[in-house]
Amino acid sequence: MPRRLIFALANTGAVLVALYIAFARDLERPYWAMFTVFIIAKPILGAVRSKAAYRLAGTLMGASMTVFLIPPLVQSPILLCLVLAMWVGLCLFCSLLDRTPRSYALLLAGYTATIIGFSVVNQPETVFDTAVARVEEISLGILCGSLAHSIIFPRNVLREILGQIDSVVAACGRWISEALQTQSPDLLSAERRLTQIVTELRLQYTHVAFESSDTPRSGRLMRLLQQRVGLLLPVANDLLSAVRTLHAQGALRPAIAEYLQACSAWAACFMEPQALPPTSLRQQIDTALTRGCSAAGTWQAVVENTVLFRLLELIDLLADIRDLVTALNHPDTPSTALEDEVRWPDPGKYALTSDPTVAALSAAAAVLAVLIACVLWIQSAWPEGGVAAQFAAIGCSLFATLDRPAKLITSVMVGILLALPLAALYVFAIIPQIDGFPSLAVVLFPVLMLFSLMQTIARLEGTALVLAVGFSGGLALQSSYQANFAAFVNSNTAEVAGLLIAAIINVVFRTIDPLWNAQRIARAGRASVRRLVASDPPMVLAGWTSQMFDRMGLITSRLTTARHDASVEAGIDPLRDLRIGLNLAALRDGIRERVAADELACVVAAVDASYAIQEPKISGERIYVRIPTARAAKAPLPSEHIDKALRALTNTPPEQRSPKLLAALTSLRLNFSADPPPALTAPIK
Amino acid sequence: MIGELNLGGVFIPWLLITALAAFAVSLLVRVLLRRLRLYRFVWHAGLFDTATFVVLLWITAWITSPHTP
Repeated sequence: MPRRLIFALANTGAVLVALYIAFARDLERPYWAMFTVFIIAKPILGAVRSKAAYRLAGTLMGASMTVFLIPPLVQSPILLCLVLAMWVGLCLFCSLLDRTPRSYALLLAGYTATIIGFSVVNQPETVFDTAVARVEEISLGILCGSLAHSIIFPRNVLREILGQIDSVVAACGRWISEALQTQSPDLLSAERRLTQIVTELRLQYTHVAFESSDTPRSGRLMRLLQQRVGLLLPVANDLLSAVRTLHAQGALRPAIAEYLQACSAWAACFMEPQALPPTSLRQQIDTALTRGCSAAGTWQAVVENTVLFRLLELIDLLADIRDLVTALNHPDTPSTALEDEVRWPDPGKYALTSDPTVAALSAAAAVLAVLIACVLWIQSAWPEGGVAAQFAAIGCSLFATLDRPAKLITSVMVGILLALPLAALYVFAIIPQIDGFPSLAVVLFPVLMLFSLMQTIARLEGTALVLAVGFSGGLALQSSYQANFAAFVNSNTAEVAGLLIAAIINVVFRTIDPLWNAQRIARAGRASVRRLVASDPPMVLAGWTSQMFDRMGLITSRLTTARHDASVEAGIDPLRDLRIGLNLAALRDGIRERVAADELACVVAAVDASYAIQEPKISGERIYVRIPTARAAKAPLPSEHIDKALRALTNTPPEQRSPKLLAALTSLRLNFSADPPPALTAPIK
Repeated sequence: MIGELNLGGVFIPWLLITALAAFAVSLLVRVLLRRLRLYRFVWHAGLFDTATFVVLLWITAWITSPHTP
């Protein structure tokens, strides 16, 4: 509680200081500075500062654009409206393609131009002054807000992340441990939790460049951690499917059961300081694998080798995660092992996927909404119509990342309507009674404190922001008191009308069924598997994996209610695509090393072809039809090619049999069919 | 420090220019200190950085004061 109280006090103080400076310098609209403080207020310092920096950049861009556009176009209103609407659309489109915190700058550049532009069309000679005032007041709010949050007990992103990651990773270890024992794991919830944490890691860590100076940047370690945590899921899945196959054929060999048991025992507590990585177990498994590989002749032996290989991978991954978390926890004692660039190559910047189609659709909706507001404004000679056009742009821009933005736009509308009575109370009852800044500060304090406190509660953060912005806008504090009931009602009605236009346009043109969108993303993922196979020179695997993981995050966030088998039925199984992709990449490496290259090439081609055929057709909103299986039946199944390759591989001299290739082939095989291959059940030669 | 720069008819307060210059220098100083791992000895990085900025602002203003328009 004190933590929240301190945050709220710091925030309220920042608002009041910003207001005071704005009044003292006689700035045009002090309330712009006031709500900027609320907009950038975030619980984590890095997020505050990054939002502040991008807000400043965006405001500068938008203000410059207005100064550039208004003077030549102000005589032809229709052209001006068209140009500003297109500018909003362009900025929104580019910002949606970006998907990092940087996108906020572009978003803001778009609608700042409408805020300044549409409010000065009646006095175009003031465009420069208004633009300067906007920049000044936004910078003032940013300065006060970020200074207050930098100095007064800042919370740093690394500590937040480490606090979360310890528990999540330990929970993950327990999940793996349990799965190894029972073989009937709750895959779906683990998948959701892991994708969520990897997405969370990425989102939070994007702000780290803006953190306080004593926070180590350790970007490489963080990227490594994301990548390793991400790989846990496909590796554990491949391992489990192999173990399940062995179980289906009868009891496990005692040695294998023992390894699984030991591994499971370690995974259950691998993050505890006393649980050292099991080096001797690893060695045992390694020798067993080399021995097993040279003797591999039966399907059972091949699957056993796969189990051993995946176990090794899993142990390495968990040990890596343990080392990385330790290194992140103690940034001042550099671990020599982690300086090793060979064992720990930087996986590179996290590549995000982007969706130009949805971005273009959102941009078009924004352009349309602004134009409709402008037409209403010009045709009906509505004096406050400009405000409606501004809010249409804001409403369309802010929620364009959502599948159903109209819902949130409506709730913003409701929030503004709720804040209005409070603002009216202040404007018409309280403020007339007071005199000077100190008394203003006293009467504003409770409300500002309430909003700031609400911002510290994650569930109320959005509501608080809407209320704070609605309240500040309704109050519209200026240096001299000028209450005018008609103007108050007019401008606030226009705000709501603008949002209403935005909501309607979004309902009509920009409501996307989350399931349909998830399907599109899954389809993009499958296309990316095919690209991985076809790429020459070979794509960097780490980048590809992170993109697939990004897609997985996007999909799981859309399917929180759907049942797993239902979504698989609809052609959405990003984890399977990721596993197949990783195994294909291993085969690709095998082809380059010229071990049974022809057979492997056939496998890759067959899997690729099956991906081309399996494309589920989407017709209508919720009907999923698979392409008739007759076409699929004509092409030889990938599993037949895999069997051929397995046979070829087991017939090569023992020293050439790479356990990685065998494991990749077997895992791939298990993805397509669980039945034992006919020719491998009997020993060959 | 007090005064304005006339940039093609736009008057820019000299304080803004010195502040931007000081901020740029303070960013460099921060990167340098972080590279040298000197922030271990700083109790409160936010406060320290703000103080550094104020000192740098004073130095910049002091250096440029003879040339202020």
